[in-house]
Amino acid sequence: MVLDNLGSSLRSTMDTLRGKSRLDEEDVQEIVKEIQRSLLQADVEVGLVMDLSSNIEERALNEEPPGGTSARDHILKIVYEEMIEVVGESTELPLESQTIMLSGLQGSGKTTTAAKIAWWFSKKGLRPAVIQTDTFRPGSYQQAKQMAENAEVQFYGDPDAEDPVKIARDGLEATEDADVHIVDTAGRHALETELIDEIEEIEETVDPDRNLLVLDAAIGQGAKEQAREFDDAIGVDGVTITKLDGTAKGGGALTAVNETDSSIAFLGTGETVQDIERFEPDGFISRLLGMGDLKQLSERVERAMQETGEEEEDWEPEDMLQGSFTLKDMQRQMDAMSKMGPLDQVMDMIPGMGGGMMDQLPDDAMDVTQDRMRNFEVIMDSMTDEELEEPRSIGAQQVQRIARGSGTDEETVQELLQQHKMMDQTLNQFQGMGDGDMQRMMKKMQGGDGGGGMGGMGPFG
Amino acid sequence: MFDGLKEKLGSFREDVEEEVEEKEADADAAADAEAAESADDEAEPSTPAAAPERESSDEDGEKPGRLRQAAAMATGRVIIEEDDLEEPLWSLEMALLESDVEMSVAEEILDSVREKLIGESRKQVDTTAELVEDALHDALVEVISVGQFDFEQRVAEAEKPVTVVFTGVNGVGKTTSIAKMSEWLGERGYSSVLANGDTYRAGANEQIQKHAENVGRKLISHEQGGDPAAVIYDGVEYAEANDVDVVLGDTAGRLHTSNDLMTQLEKIHRVVDPEMTLFVDEAVAGQDAVERAKEFNDAAEIDGTVLTKADADSSGGAAISIAHVTGKPVLFLGTGQGYEDLQEFDPEELVEDLLSE
Repeated sequence: MVLDNLGSSLRSTMDTLRGKSRLDEEDVQEIVKEIQRSLLQADVEVGLVMDLSSNIEERALNEEPPGGTSARDHILKIVYEEMIEVVGESTELPLESQTIMLSGLQGSGKTTTAAKIAWWFSKKGLRPAVIQTDTFRPGSYQQAKQMAENAEVQFYGDPDAEDPVKIARDGLEATEDADVHIVDTAGRHALETELIDEIEEIEETVDPDRNLLVLDAAIGQGAKEQAREFDDAIGVDGVTITKLDGTAKGGGALTAVNETDSSIAFLGTGETVQDIERFEPDGFISRLLGMGDLKQLSERVERAMQETGEEEEDWEPEDMLQGSFTLKDMQRQMDAMSKMGPLDQVMDMIPGMGGGMMDQLPDDAMDVTQDRMRNFEVIMDSMTDEELEEPRSIGAQQVQRIARGSGTDEETVQELLQQHKMMDQTLNQFQGMGDGDMQRMMKKMQGGDGGGGMGGMGPFG
Repeated sequence: MFDGLKEKLGSFREDVEEEVEEKEADADAAADAEAAESADDEAEPSTPAAAPERESSDEDGEKPGRLRQAAAMATGRVIIEEDDLEEPLWSLEMALLESDVEMSVAEEILDSVREKLIGESRKQVDTTAELVEDALHDALVEVISVGQFDFEQRVAEAEKPVTVVFTGVNGVGKTTSIAKMSEWLGERGYSSVLANGDTYRAGANEQIQKHAENVGRKLISHEQGGDPAAVIYDGVEYAEANDVDVVLGDTAGRLHTSNDLMTQLEKIHRVVDPEMTLFVDEAVAGQDAVERAKEFNDAAEIDGTVLTKADADSSGGAAISIAHVTGKPVLFLGTGQGYEDLQEFDPEELVEDLLSE
């Protein structure tokens, strides 16, 4: 995820400050060095890194921590504020009729992003249309058309036309009924003067409400120059970072928003049209500092619940908290969980689980967990309804039968039963709690007293 | 490409020179005062428990002993110490990072330069600039020059048809590079056929089909969703039947974090057993270039790298980093959108160019 490196190294430096109430110059310098390293490793531009770090250093040395605040919290607050200062608010995207134009380097992911943004607007109840104006790259028309189909949105393009300006004009006319027009353009870089002239022309014709610059998360120091040139040519209102599901940290986006005085609009996290997130600065920074991102999480949960609910009308998640927790509930929970997306992405959003916690897990932990979930699913498919409703009644012989039936071993079946028991117990503790209690518990989990509070996460931890 | 780095390397040289000159001036002033002392030291160089030596080992192993310093001073030399380099090295590190050299690789370059310079005594016949230049040259060549080989020769000598598979993340320019490579081979008298192993991305077939038409080559492709290994295999069969020299196999772009797709890549590698696998990445990539190069090299061992978008005002540090971490040379640079925009990469030439005034 974006800049998670900064999060983890910052946290480990911060840990050395635990208990200190004052910071001496040496402490501050060490933290600042660590921040510099992390930002540079995340591809934030060198000049911006130096500005940021000198601000942090100056404030950490000169500002008195408010009474009762530990040195650690004080520094965290400063880092948080300085980062927010650069990142700014998320690009404003009112849910109304508008035209959005995408631009960027070759291969940064504009066409995929166009379909994703269209999908995002359609989920918000608007009618989007994608207009493909890339006449240069072979196959771009087919790709855009296919992606628009995947997103189930209107599409306009003309594989035989040669003038992108004309396609843009015709496209806007042809899709007049749509609320949101998303204009995709051919990839180009800052030094291709002719192509920069061309995009200026397209921009004039399209007259977009918003110009979004699409940047690959892996872009390096060049982000500054590219962003500036695009900004000079057409004016950049927002940045979309793509391919964040790789290992790149996306610091180039920070450079770009700083350079163009704009903000981040969307994050692209995968190859399908659903893999898009609206950028939320608070969540972003919280995640960065290892505090989780509840908002994103709840949005995903809601979406997953909706999808699960579509299939099984009679299931109420609340039942779980009132009645007994059966294996069927666990099955549904796992089903919903897997609909939320890759586990590590989801985990990253859970307070107390992202950042620091994730750092301590071995790299393949998530794969193992995912494999385990798959195993559990297969096992549950081999159980009878009675067994699913009354897991406690399952005896040794039944375990044997289930193991054979599911092609697993008895040990795994036992593991599943154990897991269920643990989750059942944890849920029992939840029962009768009000919202406040829930929040208190979340807080406790954030306190980071190891995995103690996470019994409820069962197979997912 | 590399203009920024070149400039910075020049200023590193000047920085060190300045530091050393300052020191020289100080040394001159102090020389008279310490003349007597150094004369004493020199008079008994073989004294087993000489005080200066003990002092040096107690205090700081890095620093040349006072004995050597004194000796150097007496013969009109200046010894470069860690302190002298601290500032210039910091600037050099920033310069390397600004050029997108990956951090650990930058640190290695610094270590190498530091090691070569510290304790080095500058003879009066040398200039500091020469010393620094040698150290930089060696450090850079050490990092970039990893088993460079002659691609054309390898193609010429290999049994035909030669299969070359291109791998890399999404959007770095694999397909365009294949079309360029086909032209490059054609100019040198080798025929080639393109095989589209990208059966995943929408529009991939149309894209490579158009390229194939433009450069006048045959394309072997299957329906979207087909088995990529099978497509490339068909390409090899076609080449055998039609006496074509080279099969250029495309693969779908994939992020190195996608386990399924990386496993698929391993399978392609196993089934097709290509003569060469070329990793394609873009010159504008930053710190992450190293990570993905490593992952791709692990999944399907690469023989070299093609660096695309080198014309996009990139600083080119990725070239240095990728070669270093994979231990495989950068072979080609993509320098534009035309089919002729593919250049062979020569690291020695690059280093010479970087260090020339």
